[in-house]
Amino acid sequence: MSNQSSGIFNWVNDRLPIKNTYERHLSKHPVPKKVNFWYMFGALASVVLIIQIVSGIWLMFGYENTEEGAFASVEYIMRDVDYGWVVRYMHTTGASMFFAVVYLHMFRGLMYGSYHKPRELVWIFGMTIYLVMMAEGFLGYVLPYGQMSYWGAQVIISLFGAIPYIGESLELWVRGDYYISGATISRFFALHVVALPLILIALVFMHLVALHEVGAGNPEGVDIEKYVDEDGVPLDSVPFFPYKILNALVAIGIFGIVFSIIMFFFPEGGGYMLELANFEEANPLSTPDHIAPVWYYSPYYAMLRAIPDKLGGLIVMGAAIAILFVVPWLDRSKAASIRYKGNLSKIAMTIFVFSWLMLAWLGTMPVTELRTTLSQIGTVIYFAFFLLMPIYTSIEKSRPVPERL
Amino acid sequence: MEEKLTTRRKVLIGMTAAVGSAGIPFAAVPFLSAWNPSAKAKAVGAPVKVDISKIQVGQKIQVAWRKQPVFVIRHSKEALANLSQIEEKLDDPQSNNIDEPYRDINPTRSTSNEFTVIAGVCTHLGCSPKYYPKMEPQPWDETWIGGFFCPCHGSMFDIVGRVFKGVPAPTNLKVPPHNFRGNILTIGEDKGTA
Amino acid sequence: MKLIIFSFFFLFSLGVSSAESAPCGDYGECDEFSPQLNNLESLQLGAVTFLNNCYGCHSLKYSRWNRIAKDLEIPEEIFASNLVYGQTVKLGDTMNGSMKKELAETWFGISPPDLTLVTRLHGSDWVYTYLKTFYEDSSKPYGVNNMVYPGAAMPNVLASMQGQQILSCKRVPIIASNGGVKRDSSGNDITEEKCGYLKTIPGSGTLSTEEFDEVIFNLVNFMTYVGEPSRADRERIGWYVILFFIIFTSFAYLLFKEYQKDYH
Repeated sequence: MSNQSSGIFNWVNDRLPIKNTYERHLSKHPVPKKVNFWYMFGALASVVLIIQIVSGIWLMFGYENTEEGAFASVEYIMRDVDYGWVVRYMHTTGASMFFAVVYLHMFRGLMYGSYHKPRELVWIFGMTIYLVMMAEGFLGYVLPYGQMSYWGAQVIISLFGAIPYIGESLELWVRGDYYISGATISRFFALHVVALPLILIALVFMHLVALHEVGAGNPEGVDIEKYVDEDGVPLDSVPFFPYKILNALVAIGIFGIVFSIIMFFFPEGGGYMLELANFEEANPLSTPDHIAPVWYYSPYYAMLRAIPDKLGGLIVMGAAIAILFVVPWLDRSKAASIRYKGNLSKIAMTIFVFSWLMLAWLGTMPVTELRTTLSQIGTVIYFAFFLLMPIYTSIEKSRPVPERL
Repeated sequence: MEEKLTTRRKVLIGMTAAVGSAGIPFAAVPFLSAWNPSAKAKAVGAPVKVDISKIQVGQKIQVAWRKQPVFVIRHSKEALANLSQIEEKLDDPQSNNIDEPYRDINPTRSTSNEFTVIAGVCTHLGCSPKYYPKMEPQPWDETWIGGFFCPCHGSMFDIVGRVFKGVPAPTNLKVPPHNFRGNILTIGEDKGTA
Repeated sequence: MKLIIFSFFFLFSLGVSSAESAPCGDYGECDEFSPQLNNLESLQLGAVTFLNNCYGCHSLKYSRWNRIAKDLEIPEEIFASNLVYGQTVKLGDTMNGSMKKELAETWFGISPPDLTLVTRLHGSDWVYTYLKTFYEDSSKPYGVNNMVYPGAAMPNVLASMQGQQILSCKRVPIIASNGGVKRDSSGNDITEEKCGYLKTIPGSGTLSTEEFDEVIFNLVNFMTYVGEPSRADRERIGWYVILFFIIFTSFAYLLFKEYQKDYH
């Protein structure tokens, strides 16, 4: 019996490198032995990706991608489809959790210098994933065709109009119509369901391949490849199975608790995840009193509004994301991890975090003079953190990084 | 490090795996249930009411239920009396091979002794059989004493929908759940509510 | 690190409170409303009030008749004969309303909006307060205005129950900048006249203030239910799911710690 099954397995394995790949990338893959909870968010991001794909497919069973039917079809899913509300809330909660997890994942990268050599490409793939996620989230939000779907899309698409010369034609081309209509919904649907997920999955794959090529970092910024045993396995590592799987399992458990609390008790997220204005069908003739994006775009929305010029705001917003890509080259510190960097970096990072959170909060609020000023200050701090980094990471005194974990 | 599979480890692995796997069928329920007919489908597929007082003796009317044709036939007493003559031509005169909701109550295969309610869907490949109630020779049967003939592939059924021997259709025409209340026939429901 | 996380939640909570307390127009802060979605009697009474007073103009087009009968545990026969008024309606149909859009626009200038999602859009407390703050205003087409939604085209449908309300003025104590009450030299409160208070004309309605409040509570409770019929289920199932994850995480944690001994 077991001979037969191993016979079949070997037949396949001779033609497809299952055993080798499994051992190299899963079971025996060496992982730093001492990492903290900040290192779990990558695994959680993949879990959320799967949740979004499954719940997204299930939503498609009931959603109608037409101007007349879109809004009603969402209510159909919520009421008429057995347990349709589970699927819907899973997808909306998942969208917010995706960004929450990814922001924490990115913050881990900034804190522990995960982008340092040789992991620059992992970081770049990661930033590209983030960019695609932001597009994916925007496209998805338009699909229920509520008031906020419509007017949020109106604001973002009109940004294209800011581009000199080609702006207005570009706006019309993106919309496919003179207003955000069924034409816009159906193309956004195709992009949201097929095109961007395929790109996203490909990027995640590349992100992981690049990561596995150089190995994961650790909170100390120690290069564990320096000290290896006779088989070339780093001394300060443990095999992925069972040790990291179990670590991930705990993380998934805790994540499940948080996810479920939100999904079953606060699915609207206080109006920040499922905006209340979206419970009204899109009305091109009536703008809601207060247009705000979902929370995960709000820091950038605050920056956009802080700049009094339309094109200027667009450029600043774009630059804010673009600058993230070049962080590996801005950080001149000898130490990767904030634990061993100098005081300047620690102060800079603390100010940056507060400023980012402040921008996030400002982006959700209606405009006042004071808030605009604060947004401008926040934008300056944001850029200063990055643009001054080559200077403060060079002049500060970092502590020597240990050799072993 | 040596991996010793101690008892404690075995127990913990077992418990974690057990709790984890116990969650899976519960997690699957919403996703599997979402494919059930929705409230909208059930509304469209709801029972249909027919006023049978208008149907003449010997007449067949057709009603749509769940987007399928349902035949309602009012038989004359003579037509019902002739049913015994046809038994030898039938493949399954007692309707033993199918789900028969009102078996052995009336020759009409219904709770009514006058009306037959059958799905007008040929059990071969789904065409709608045509009603030929007259007792006269037909191109497909010289000794025809009334019934249904399916134009697609030539299956034949008697006037209460029972299938002939030697035709492509394997079983009798299906009887949908139905009930009579006064002059109202409700198709799609066994016992009437309002 | 903990400071950062704490600050984030602090700032978030500030934001949360300002997103949820929908300001109630000229009335100020909305009256508080906590739904009781498991109180079937309240929901049933609310359904009756809605169908008798509101359904004439407002549809509930995403809601189905038989779903309400089932969730509110009203037997279908009683429901059909008492609440569905012999219209050519099948119980599985959606509640598409009885008023033609074009006629409504002629009469009111605007078609009465569908109310299925109104409590999710504006908040239940907003709807609760809105229904209680109509007042006499001869400058308006139907003779009434509303404090929560000034300029509303809706007539005061429930006036016969609540009675008529007028905006009146009261003499109220002046509050100084330090929060204390201003007093004159003999120790009496100094008062000023402030207007914009609602006052019911006594005897103009069939119900007392408390009775009317209860009618509106039940009505808004029902409308909250209609806004999301699966909410009671959602919260009930939620407890079990969270419990599952807590148990799972506990075992996973013990298992993780056990294996961590190998390398720690």
